[in-house]
Amino acid sequence: MNCDDCQENLVANLEGVLDPQTAADCRQHVEECPACQSVEEATFKLHQELLGRGQAASRVSLVGSVMGRIRDERPKQAAEANPDGGAIFGKIFARWALALGTAAAAIVLTILLALPRTQATADEVLAKGAQAVANLTSIHFRGQLRTAPADNFSYINPEADFCTIELWEQFKPELKWRAEKPGRVLVMNGRSTVMLMKSNDSAVKIPQRTASAFDTEWLHRIANLSKTINNELNNARAKGWKLDLAEGTGADGTLKSIVTIMAKSDVPDNDYVKNSFFENADTRRVYTFDKQSELLETVQIYLTRPSGEVKIFDIDQIDYNQAIDASIWNLELPADVTWAQLEPPKLPDNRKYASMTAEQAARAFLEACAGEDWNEAGKFMSPITPDVKQYLGGLKIVSLGKPFTSTVYPGVFVPYEIELRPQEINVRVSNANAAKRCVVTGIYDSKLHLQQDLKGATTEPETLSDNDARLSPAQTVQAYFDAQSKFDWVEMRKFTSESDVAETKSQIEMAKKLGMDVQKLMPVVEVGQATWSADQSAWFVKCSMSQTKKWNLAVRKDNPAGRWQVDGGI
Amino acid sequence: MDPTDQEYVKQCRNGHPDDFRFLVQRYQRPLFAYLAHRLRDHSQAEEAAQESFVRAFFALAKLNKPESFHSWLIGIAARVVHEFQRTAKRRVETSASTEAVAVESAGEREEYVLDEAIAALPESQREVILLRYYEGLSCQQVADRLRTPVGTVTKNLSRAYAGLRQSVQSQPPAERSSEHELR
Repeated sequence: MNCDDCQENLVANLEGVLDPQTAADCRQHVEECPACQSVEEATFKLHQELLGRGQAASRVSLVGSVMGRIRDERPKQAAEANPDGGAIFGKIFARWALALGTAAAAIVLTILLALPRTQATADEVLAKGAQAVANLTSIHFRGQLRTAPADNFSYINPEADFCTIELWEQFKPELKWRAEKPGRVLVMNGRSTVMLMKSNDSAVKIPQRTASAFDTEWLHRIANLSKTINNELNNARAKGWKLDLAEGTGADGTLKSIVTIMAKSDVPDNDYVKNSFFENADTRRVYTFDKQSELLETVQIYLTRPSGEVKIFDIDQIDYNQAIDASIWNLELPADVTWAQLEPPKLPDNRKYASMTAEQAARAFLEACAGEDWNEAGKFMSPITPDVKQYLGGLKIVSLGKPFTSTVYPGVFVPYEIELRPQEINVRVSNANAAKRCVVTGIYDSKLHLQQDLKGATTEPETLSDNDARLSPAQTVQAYFDAQSKFDWVEMRKFTSESDVAETKSQIEMAKKLGMDVQKLMPVVEVGQATWSADQSAWFVKCSMSQTKKWNLAVRKDNPAGRWQVDGGI
Repeated sequence: MDPTDQEYVKQCRNGHPDDFRFLVQRYQRPLFAYLAHRLRDHSQAEEAAQESFVRAFFALAKLNKPESFHSWLIGIAARVVHEFQRTAKRRVETSASTEAVAVESAGEREEYVLDEAIAALPESQREVILLRYYEGLSCQQVADRLRTPVGTVTKNLSRAYAGLRQSVQSQPPAERSSEHELR
């Protein structure tokens, strides 16, 4: 490969779209050619500059405000610039002159002809709603979102339970904000932005103030109500989304204006991430405004799918301009917090990793986990927490599938099937109940740390017609897992609480909806010896649990080092 | 494929002023990036971007080269920046503040020279830069959007990079010549 060919391929290589052979040739040439090394460095620097610019501007949305101002200023400018109705201005303003001309009769006629009456009024309600919240000093809202508690802030799952999600945002005198869901807390205190992931006590920090970070953009959009409402209005007009207006009465007897918008995302129906994140979902949005104050009071968002609608988000509390307690801007971190790298650094042998294909990177990561080479695994994922080591250490790769992409995700999905190393668990069993049958009352890890307490939720087991009080603790555990693996919920209920059955059932349903092979997902449990614990007045049955996992690893390389990083799908 | 700037400008001039929204949609982020570098204040940059678009709309009739809309818009924005800075300076002088008005450093100039250079790229190269970096699309997504092979996208990106590197190295920061079209 010569210098011209190499330099023309540098960007493609950086973007990860070069075929492996050309990428390797390009790499080899760069390593041997100081001139191309210099161009590569400059290319990389420019790539970073441009990524930074795009990210900094990603929240900007000016269409509504610009078009609104143009409409407001049009009559004055037209009169000044073209008192006689000259050709070019006349043409430019011709369309709006029809809709917004100075003659009152024309206005009424045009609106009546062009738009259904309700749509014109819905526009007005939205415009007034935007005006009512144009100069907020702060906002706080709380809602319920169907999502996984520890997953991304914008992740939605119509099969999941509702989780509380909350945002506090102070606009004046200084921008500060905090977003929170059960498994994640994110605070921007005016100097830096830190997110704590509670499930594994890890955190990540951006050492500067941000207007939005870590997938909270959609929440900030709602917080920036004036813009949001304007955007809804603009999108409704530009994309032909249907707008409806209804009137209602609140519980306190006050009148409400209810605007409904049918929003359609641009993401194709067969896209892998369609309906998984807010931005990619087709939704019906219901905004309720107080008719007198014109303030937005509640928001409900429904996912609209061919199979029907399901409510995914419900904001039931919005506080405007209230003083936010200073403690909200503090984030207490666990003493043993693990810090994740914000962006992967460039390694001494970075080129080796930068030239990998997505599939090669996925395989290298899984192989590193298989061999428990955590230093190597850390080159593909940050942080490698004790949980990750426990979960993925010693895995066996069964197969990797053909990588695929989504129209809205900047990375690649690599299908994989792995066998996880058998884990030791201890199952607590008790027969201290009226039926005198053994039932499962808790799941513990190998160090006897409680993982799932089923005791509190267990109602007294009924005395069954075939009530077999002779089943030993070990046989009970075997029967419990057998029933679970056969999805026999009636049988499973004989050995555990109703809530355990419901939760297991719900997880299986969710996995099915996500397209997972649930038969393969079910753990295979080998039941061992039971030991009596006098402290707990229960038996502990030692078990070995092995599991196969078949899923899609999300990897992306749009980072300064240009290396593939595991972004999800573990 | 999306209509070109020239087509949108033509539509606006031919009695479809609402099509200006597509030009705002296309250039709001790069324009904001440019203004954020020049004004070093996000809220002022947003205000200045809005002002620049509004002025551009009312000056559309005077735009000689519709295919150079982006470059022309940057010229308008540069003028708005001067006005903002003059107003800020007057405010400081009037209030007899001891704070000095920020003097633009060479590093700061370098930052927005890149924005100006993007605006001056040939349309095919500018388009891929805008879609890739300001719309956040991957190369494959850009290719899908433009209905071209991904290789064409990376070739255009590569050429754009070469042009940008050259502009940043050689071009002194200056007001764009196209600004005279406003007067």
